[in-house]
Amino acid sequence: MMRTDWRDHDWQLIHTVPQSPSLHMALDDVLTHEVGAGHRPPTLRIWEWAGSAVVIGRFQSLRNEVDMEAAQRHGIEVVRRVSGGGAMFIEPGNTITYSIHAPLSLIKGLSFQQAYALMDEWVIEALRTLGIKAWYQPLNDITSDGGKIAGAAQAHRGGAVLHHVTMAYDIDARKMLQVLRIGREKLSDKGTASAAKRVDPLRSQTGLPREAVIERMIATFRHRHGLTSDVLRADELARAEALARERFSSPAWLADVP
Amino acid sequence: MHGEYKMPGGKLIVIDLDVLDDRLASVQLSGDFFLEPDDALNTINRTLIGQSAAADRADIAAAIHAALGPEVTMYGISPDAIAVAVQRALREEPEA
Repeated sequence: MMRTDWRDHDWQLIHTVPQSPSLHMALDDVLTHEVGAGHRPPTLRIWEWAGSAVVIGRFQSLRNEVDMEAAQRHGIEVVRRVSGGGAMFIEPGNTITYSIHAPLSLIKGLSFQQAYALMDEWVIEALRTLGIKAWYQPLNDITSDGGKIAGAAQAHRGGAVLHHVTMAYDIDARKMLQVLRIGREKLSDKGTASAAKRVDPLRSQTGLPREAVIERMIATFRHRHGLTSDVLRADELARAEALARERFSSPAWLADVP
Repeated sequence: MHGEYKMPGGKLIVIDLDVLDDRLASVQLSGDFFLEPDDALNTINRTLIGQSAAADRADIAAAIHAALGPEVTMYGISPDAIAVAVQRALREEPEA
């Protein structure tokens, strides 16, 4: 397998109506396999959220990370994703989440650190054009002068790499701390002081609506790598819906690491 | 018993276990690390179960290393860092 460059691929954009957290988990799985199998060109997917969610990493202990009673009280769906990394607290409109589904050739021969850095170069550039001095912080963060902005995670499956990232636009830190069991050490890692009520590095540093930040991100990706607007195929959506039902909303998968 | 270790330059590694007849039992590794393929998690849990509770850090790390095939990749976690978390659990040192 030869190493490929971004411009060697015909990048597609998927940005649909809001979808449920478990469907997002399933779409990550299905689209990565589709790209790996050569059934779909490499794809950038921007997520819109139909409901609040806690998304825990593949190897995180449900019990250690999440206060399930508090999550239920707040109407928050708790899901486990296919990639490693840490827990994310999401409310619609408060984060920006995206996935890149790419052939493994794009990161061939790269170290993990180099692969994470490569996948988010376009985001760093987009943030800089918005006036945020942002950079990749190994192992898997995007940070800025105004604190941590995002956490990334990669998973390799079926000949493709999934790289997905959740960025903090304007997070309700008080609610997050009720639902996530975050130690003091981890809190400083999230770029927040314990007294902070909002974790809003994107909102406070751009002064822009979330949609405008997303627009700039899409424009930057298109300018650097090329990007064509696409939609989910009916068979992709049907498979993802089945997977969301059978796997990603099942108690067994959620408590796979109890 | 519960032990945590933040690997320097890496991620948080958590071990929950019991000790039965001086052997590790019901071991569960968890954390915010990256591990491929994902069933390597169960391979590591199974490898740790039955190890002597008196095993030292190097013994535990060597056992994990030997159990993982060349296809397994780790980011933010290592056999040695898991061994540290195991030792902390055995000594009931929960703080990372």
